Amino acid sequence: MNGTIHVENIEKTFKGDVRAVRGVSFDVADGEFFAFLGPNGAGKSTTVQLLTTLLKPTSGKLEVAGYDVNKDPEKVRLSIGVALQETGIDPDLKGRELLEFQARLFGFSKKEAKKRAEELLELVGLTEDADRLSGKYSGGMRRRLDLAMTLVHQPKILFLDEPTTGLDPANRKAIWREIKRLNKEEGTTIFLTTQYLEEADQLADRISIINKGQIVATGTPAELKRTLGLDAIVLQFDEEEEAISAYDAVATDEYQTERVKNDVTILAENGTSILADVIRKLDERNLHPAQLNVKPPSLDDVFIQVTNEQKEGGLNE
Amino acid sequence: MNKQQGNFFSDTLVMTKRSIVTILRNPLIFIPNLAISMFFLFVYEAGLSGIANLPAFEGANYLAFILPVSIVSAAIGGAGGAGQALVKDLDNGFFSRLLLTPSSRLAIVLGPIIAGMLQLVIQAGLIICVGFFLGLEVAGGALGVVVVLLLTLGWGLAFAGYSVGVALRAKNAQSAQAGTFIFFPLIFLSTTFVPYELIDAAWLKVAASINPVTYLFEAMRTVLIDGFTDTWPIVLGFLVIAGLCAITITFSAVSAKKAVSTD
Ligand SMILES: Nc1ncnc2c1ncn2[C@@H]1O[C@H](COP(=O)(O)OP(=O)(O)OP(=O)(O)O)[C@@H](O)[C@H]1O
Ligand SMILES: [Mg+2]
Repeated sequence: MNGTIHVENIEKTFKGDVRAVRGVSFDVADGEFFAFLGPNGAGKSTTVQLLTTLLKPTSGKLEVAGYDVNKDPEKVRLSIGVALQETGIDPDLKGRELLEFQARLFGFSKKEAKKRAEELLELVGLTEDADRLSGKYSGGMRRRLDLAMTLVHQPKILFLDEPTTGLDPANRKAIWREIKRLNKEEGTTIFLTTQYLEEADQLADRISIINKGQIVATGTPAELKRTLGLDAIVLQFDEEEEAISAYDAVATDEYQTERVKNDVTILAENGTSILADVIRKLDERNLHPAQLNVKPPSLDDVFIQVTNEQKEGGLNE
Repeated sequence: MNKQQGNFFSDTLVMTKRSIVTILRNPLIFIPNLAISMFFLFVYEAGLSGIANLPAFEGANYLAFILPVSIVSAAIGGAGGAGQALVKDLDNGFFSRLLLTPSSRLAIVLGPIIAGMLQLVIQAGLIICVGFFLGLEVAGGALGVVVVLLLTLGWGLAFAGYSVGVALRAKNAQSAQAGTFIFFPLIFLSTTFVPYELIDAAWLKVAASINPVTYLFEAMRTVLIDGFTDTWPIVLGFLVIAGLCAITITFSAVSAKKAVSTD
């Protein structure tokens, strides 16, 4: 059993010529923590469904755990655990019943299923609510139960489509910790999609950014920040008019400038070197920002930059 | 590690159990179904029993004649509910979870189908009890009642299979409901209220003779009215229903494969 993923030039075109995935290729190594980032509608969930036997690709090659997804879907299903973006829970069953049910379908005996359910309830902090109908759970509780169901059979590869959406910070941290533990201690391969760039930055070994169905950047978090990241000079003003004048004063072709309400942000490769220039321009017009910060590149900036540039011209790896 | 393919029978059992639990936890859905089928028996008997005096009935008791109609029409609630249960699973994403398990697609659809069938058999049992209360006499005796229930079982599987298949294609409650409209031509383009010889319109005779439900009615009526003197209509009834089951259950299992992967 190996925990690799191999994707070669997959395309998925939905009815009505919606080209959700257009020629995506990547490899995930056994035991790697791989994050898939992208704006809404980029094709993340579609890719997850293609990899997990729920959708058939229009073309391309998909191998999960060493099996061809198209030819051996049953073998793939045994090797993977999947938490889709939308939880999959029968509201008429209790938390414990759902976990036992899931375990039985993965070949556990009644006794083993009971034991496994108990462990998992403990793990996701639902022991006290185990005998309530899952339909009466809060959104976050449902999300945790869904994750527990995903882990029932100790899969070699985990697919997690925005698993921490809707969780409070404490529960989000707890889930991160568990995913990290599965990855580090049990060597589980993780394929995670997320909107929380911080999440990807902290957890992932490698990140791919997908936009409009195509991968636009791949690398370790550090690599992406180094090669694509820009320093940001953030000027905050008390009055919006001041911000507007400041924007006029500093905006040039040499660097990207943006204004949102009272804030002006200047993105440049080397923030400190243009700082003097910016301050001089502001002085000339007698503009005084209430706050001025220079921030090193964050994954957020990389993300926004990569997905924006694509709108205009196109950027490839 | 524990992961392995469960076996087909235990998977089917686990799926069926889950469907039954789900039904029992929604009594407001199944109790009206039970009530409505008994209501039909009352009104048919009260309103139409006079026509049993026509010579073509050969003195048969109209209650025994109309009882199969009541049982067959109960399927729309009981067995038809299997389709509604499936739409619910599709809506709340649970169906995707089921598809992600290593269970066979047939086991996945058999859960709600068998649960729907059982609901229909229980309904039929109650209808027969009410029938006895109204003065029903069964020529085939206790064995006759068992045969009627077995035929009901077959019809329940066939109809639930159909309704699950339609739900998987339609993917929403309205269309799934619309799909069950096939039921009306099935039940009324047949020997529903009068025997074949009394049907006047030639087109209705043709429709009745190609309608599988006619053979179900005939088999049940033979057992109820004549007992086991002539077994051919009974055998034919079982054969037709078995064929129908094979078709509709295959349809639902194939639809399950395509349910999520359609585009
Ligand atoms: N079943 C479907 N039929 C038609 N179009 C679809 C279907 N599923 C997804 N799409 C389209 O495919 C594109 C990609 O959708 P997808 O759900 O993969 O995005 P995503 O990256 O997961 O977005 P989000 O961050 O919002 O979850 C979108 O344009 C979406 O409308
Ligand atoms: Mg998504």
